[in-house]
Amino acid sequence: MVDHLLLMIWHALLVALFFAFLWRRSSRDRLRLFAKTFLLMAVGSVVLGWLMFAVP
Amino acid sequence: MTKDTGRSTGGVEAPRARTSPLLLLAAWLVPGLGHWILGKRRRALVFFTVVVGAFLTGMLVDGELGTPRPGEPFSWLATLACLGNGLLYVARLVWINGLSGALGGLPFGLDGGGDPTAVGFAYGNTFLYTGGLMNLLLMLDVSDIARAEKD
Repeated sequence: MVDHLLLMIWHALLVALFFAFLWRRSSRDRLRLFAKTFLLMAVGSVVLGWLMFAVP
Repeated sequence: MTKDTGRSTGGVEAPRARTSPLLLLAAWLVPGLGHWILGKRRRALVFFTVVVGAFLTGMLVDGELGTPRPGEPFSWLATLACLGNGLLYVARLVWINGLSGALGGLPFGLDGGGDPTAVGFAYGNTFLYTGGLMNLLLMLDVSDIARAEKD
């Protein structure tokens, strides 16, 4: 079964992990960038989805 | 008496180091291999896992590999993005089309697989494009590291 939300979260997780390791060197910085990117993508997508209810 | 300005090359920039094409080829073929060769083993494993994970997910949810189609300029962009997956892209195309089909189908007769009626089709495409684009970024990163422009 394909769960859209799960796929979106999985995608956000992969991308966040990728950029955390590409752009940061220390574990602490990586964790911070990972958390920021992941939350922005995952939560941001859900919020955007809700806002789009207003669009006919 | 002349003043030392600190410029040993007399205003002429030293030639920039070039990255070995073989290193870039390795980085393209197998995600993370370029970093592995440069001794960045931990990063290499993470990048391999991420790119291969994205590609496999795209494949499993019936995404379609980008292949060029006549009269569809955007299909070339999709092809470029998917081509970034390196050996995974080539292997998948050969798996779908067969070796003779893959070679004989160039450039416009290739089947990218996938199922446009599947629920995960659009997601699958996104994962396939993302994996390829990430690997292209990794090639740039490998080039920077090899030229000592970053660690």
